[in-house]
Amino acid sequence: MSIAFLTRGRLAAAAVLALTIATGAAIAQEGTTQDPRLFTPGKLTVSTSDPSYPPWVLNNDPAAGEGFEAALVYALAAEMGFAREDVVWVDETFEAAIAPGDKLYDFSIQQISVTAERSAVATFSRVYYQPEKALIVLAGSPLENATTFAELRAARWGVAIGTTDLDYIENVLGITNAAVYNDQAGVFLAMQAGQIDATVTALPTALFVTAVQVPDARIAALLPIDERDEGFGLLFEFENPLVDWVDEALGTLIDGGVVAEIAAQYLTGDLNARVINE
Amino acid sequence: MSSGDSSPGPRNGADRSGAAAPARPPRRQREISWLPILVSIASVVVVFGTIAHFVARSEQWPRIKRQFFNWDAMVESFPDVLRGFWLNLEIWVICIVSIGTWALLLTLFRVLRGPLFAPLRVFAIVYVDLFRGIPALLLVVLFAFGIPALRIPNLPSSALFWGIVAMTLSYSAYATEVYRSGIDAVHDGQRAAAKALGLTQLQALRYAILPQAIRNVVPALLNLAVALQKDVALLSVVGVRDAVREAQIYMNQTFNYSSYLVAAALFLVTTIPLARFVDYLTRRDRERRLQGGMI
Repeated sequence: MSIAFLTRGRLAAAAVLALTIATGAAIAQEGTTQDPRLFTPGKLTVSTSDPSYPPWVLNNDPAAGEGFEAALVYALAAEMGFAREDVVWVDETFEAAIAPGDKLYDFSIQQISVTAERSAVATFSRVYYQPEKALIVLAGSPLENATTFAELRAARWGVAIGTTDLDYIENVLGITNAAVYNDQAGVFLAMQAGQIDATVTALPTALFVTAVQVPDARIAALLPIDERDEGFGLLFEFENPLVDWVDEALGTLIDGGVVAEIAAQYLTGDLNARVINE
Repeated sequence: MSSGDSSPGPRNGADRSGAAAPARPPRRQREISWLPILVSIASVVVVFGTIAHFVARSEQWPRIKRQFFNWDAMVESFPDVLRGFWLNLEIWVICIVSIGTWALLLTLFRVLRGPLFAPLRVFAIVYVDLFRGIPALLLVVLFAFGIPALRIPNLPSSALFWGIVAMTLSYSAYATEVYRSGIDAVHDGQRAAAKALGLTQLQALRYAILPQAIRNVVPALLNLAVALQKDVALLSVVGVRDAVREAQIYMNQTFNYSSYLVAAALFLVTTIPLARFVDYLTRRDRERRLQGGMI
């Protein structure tokens, strides 16, 4: 009822004052856990794929914080001021992560490679990891002893879609007409069916695949890094302003050696593979 | 054996041609009424204009436009998608031939009468039940990855080959039912008449039943063929790079979905003329049959 006694001018003035206070408060909260730009203020909402695989996430349970990317997110959350229980995980496919439109989380982490083309329609954080590429073949394949790109080009190749592996073999190795599968599982089914001879993946994935998923597959060699593929970054909704704050925290972790520590814990394996460079 | 004997159509035609000279009334000048046309145009403009207005006014529209309707991306992805599309067409044509043949054979198994053919009938019934129930995707994966992994000598290991086999097996189950509905729609008198003329069961099917049955189901078969063309994309699961997969590859490289529109346009370019062609065939066939009744 008191509104009725206010004049029009006083009402406007009050509104402007309230708005100023609100805006000021919002700016003051930026870069804190109550940042209104967060999907849910007070929480850090992160999406990853389901299923997600070791060594990136162990046991398909990111909330346990085990595995390189899960551990990285918890380190990042701590650096940003979030308590462990304030990290909320959301399942999401790669397809949904890259589609336009509102996202139901702050950022997505699932070994998404940063490239210039992708950056035109999606926003990425700093690169947190640049994996080496590994050549995988079945045990007993003549390619196990390959030493040149020319030998590799003569083989039949297959890769999984959604990765930059296809770009890699086309650009770096000069392979054309590789078969493209929905996922890594399809690649190895085709390999076991004798339809393809070779594939390439990020080294940590290759270590896991050859050790656990497909025991008769071998890492035959390491391959050089593709200059165009900048490495893995966190994926944000296009032009999400949060990225600056996250980048700042991520930068601290990278410069402080925390990321390298986590990588050393999860992403190394016993491997003495030779490198094929040309 | 003409089906026109009891139907009113041809008789009317005969009457009309007989009494044509004196009875035909002078053709009236048709007046074009503009009002309904104007109302149609106006309503089309209003409806689509309103939709376009709300879409274009949406805050996210520029982004959607850049990621879905990007001309440069379409041009850039076109050669690869087109290459995939040729592969799609090749697979499609092979599948249409193999499905048409295999389904026809199954249909014959299904409609043959007499105790001698009982095993074939049972086989056809079980086959249709089974293959219509199993998802085509599962068949494709099972055949294209499973069979070559057995490493049986002298059997092809190509995923493309086994993928086509799987699609044929799956789609034949549907096509068989379409053929059968066509055969069921042919009046039983036709079979009896053929028998009376001394034709054997197979001859009756060949000369009397099937020509009428297939004619009736051409639109339904075309429907299947159009669906099949899109389902060829299922083979991408086993590594075949068809138009949709090529579009997907481009999308994954650039996060730009415009390549899918290129694939869609290519599909439309084939299916729309195909539909018109079948319309034309059906119309011509009907006219021919009516003409036959008059003579």
